[in-house]
Amino acid sequence: MDYLLHILIMVCIYSIVSMSLNILAGYTGLLSVSHAAFYGIGAYTTALLALNAGLPFWINIPAGIIISGVIAFLVAWPSLRTYDDYFVITTFAFQIIVFSILNNWVSFTGGPLGLPGIPQPDIFGIKISSHVSFLIFVLTFAVLTYIFLNRLMDSPFGRILKAIREDEIFTTSLGKDVMKFKLTAFIIGASIASISGSLYAYYISFIDPTSFTIMESIFILSIVIIGGAGNLKGSIVGSALLIFIPEMLRFVGMPNSIAANMRQIFYGLLLVMFMMFRPQGIMGKFAFGKEGGVKEEVKKDA
Amino acid sequence: MLEVSGITKHFDGVHAVDNASLKISQATITSLIGPNGAGKTTLFNIICGYIEPDKGAVQFNGKNLNGCAPHERASAGIGRTFQNMRLIKRLSALENLMLAFNYISPPLTGGDEGEGEKGEGVSENPGFIKTLFYSISRTHEIKNKEKAYELLDFVGMKDKVYEPAGSLSYGQQKLLSLACCLALDAKLLMLDEPVAGVNQETIHKILSLFRELKKSGITIFLIEHNMDAVMEISDRLIVMDEGRIIADGIPSEVKEKPEVIEAYIS
Repeated sequence: MDYLLHILIMVCIYSIVSMSLNILAGYTGLLSVSHAAFYGIGAYTTALLALNAGLPFWINIPAGIIISGVIAFLVAWPSLRTYDDYFVITTFAFQIIVFSILNNWVSFTGGPLGLPGIPQPDIFGIKISSHVSFLIFVLTFAVLTYIFLNRLMDSPFGRILKAIREDEIFTTSLGKDVMKFKLTAFIIGASIASISGSLYAYYISFIDPTSFTIMESIFILSIVIIGGAGNLKGSIVGSALLIFIPEMLRFVGMPNSIAANMRQIFYGLLLVMFMMFRPQGIMGKFAFGKEGGVKEEVKKDA
Repeated sequence: MLEVSGITKHFDGVHAVDNASLKISQATITSLIGPNGAGKTTLFNIICGYIEPDKGAVQFNGKNLNGCAPHERASAGIGRTFQNMRLIKRLSALENLMLAFNYISPPLTGGDEGEGEKGEGVSENPGFIKTLFYSISRTHEIKNKEKAYELLDFVGMKDKVYEPAGSLSYGQQKLLSLACCLALDAKLLMLDEPVAGVNQETIHKILSLFRELKKSGITIFLIEHNMDAVMEISDRLIVMDEGRIIADGIPSEVKEKPEVIEAYIS
């Protein structure tokens, strides 16, 4: 039972982080591979504040949001001046930098040994320690995130983000400051990613840099693409799918050492299959990225 | 209303625009014609801020626009359509139109365009918190939607409200782009080939819209190759060739000028 609850908790945490990446990659068309970095910044902020200052979660999580938001601003300001592939490379670089800092600044982050013993959060004196209470805790955040983002994407703001994904010049010609909107989207995405990082730190109670690598960023991106870019529900379905299915491998009696590698193969395979046969993902309406890919053009002519 | 003085732009030694100066007064329709590669679209792009000129200045309503970003010029009231249609094809006609509204400032008041005595000129850029706040508020959205229906009705596309822009016919897309400029509350419409590739019936529709807009005080500046339409609608004709303005005046006179005839024949 606890095992199932554990999976559900992880689904909630990944739903939050993938929904936040969906704002960037799915809605605005900013293909960022630095989301694990912001996820990690949230986790480390919470862990360090809880361990060193003994602060409660309702300070730690907002602190993570603010720190992530400020760092996102500093990163996005220069990197949003680049486009497409170049933007991917700048976010890639940022991801590598964050990982290096987490891994090498031993006196501050604990380096490769990580930060163990993160205290459990408590609400009005009630410790959240059982799996059930943790599930309720993370589910609350996931639901609030969904409601907030859903409303935001359904608003004029969300519409402008979608328009930016499709055609920046047209959006500019209608008097919209494209740069500012992209920057706002990036900051919102990064801030929300930090929430899931904080929740992860509380839940696992031990964090180390290996949870926040480029592979993790790509995993989050896979969730977005497979679930359906530009669809928040898709991110939830994608999270469930990509977390549940690899767990099945345990039940077919595969030894752990092989199962770990099988997971990577499985993710890669799934991503390739989706790109070939269902580029819009499970819930998405449109193929990932801009409209007018080769396939759509051909279909139009036929 | 619009004053362009001494605009020069080189691309790798080619004079795309060479010392071009012109003035456009309010509530007139001016056509910019000339052979392909004469620099018409480049001049448009410079006026709208997409290309930085090497020399020269653009003034709009007495305000110098040099150094203004394209979106600032658009908010200042210079609407622009593009030669190759730029609409968000996946979004509906209504949503395309709604994009143009400035949801930060109060919604546009109903009634005729151009009559609104707003006087604010450039709408300021909203702060981050304000952007989010207004995003969540729905009252704006509802009012803007009403306005959008009115505009779609004005351009005669009431029955296409929910159709994706990509599935509209070419002529309807042109009309929708025009409506987007109006939703922007533009006082000057810069239209790049508004009737090219459109059937005769729609051309008449577009031209009659132009007349109506002119009556309500909107200024139109257009690039067009369809000479019949140009001669029918224009108050003034400006001819460009090889980056220079070679003629400027009343259409019937400009047409007869030897240098214009030569530019078109050679």
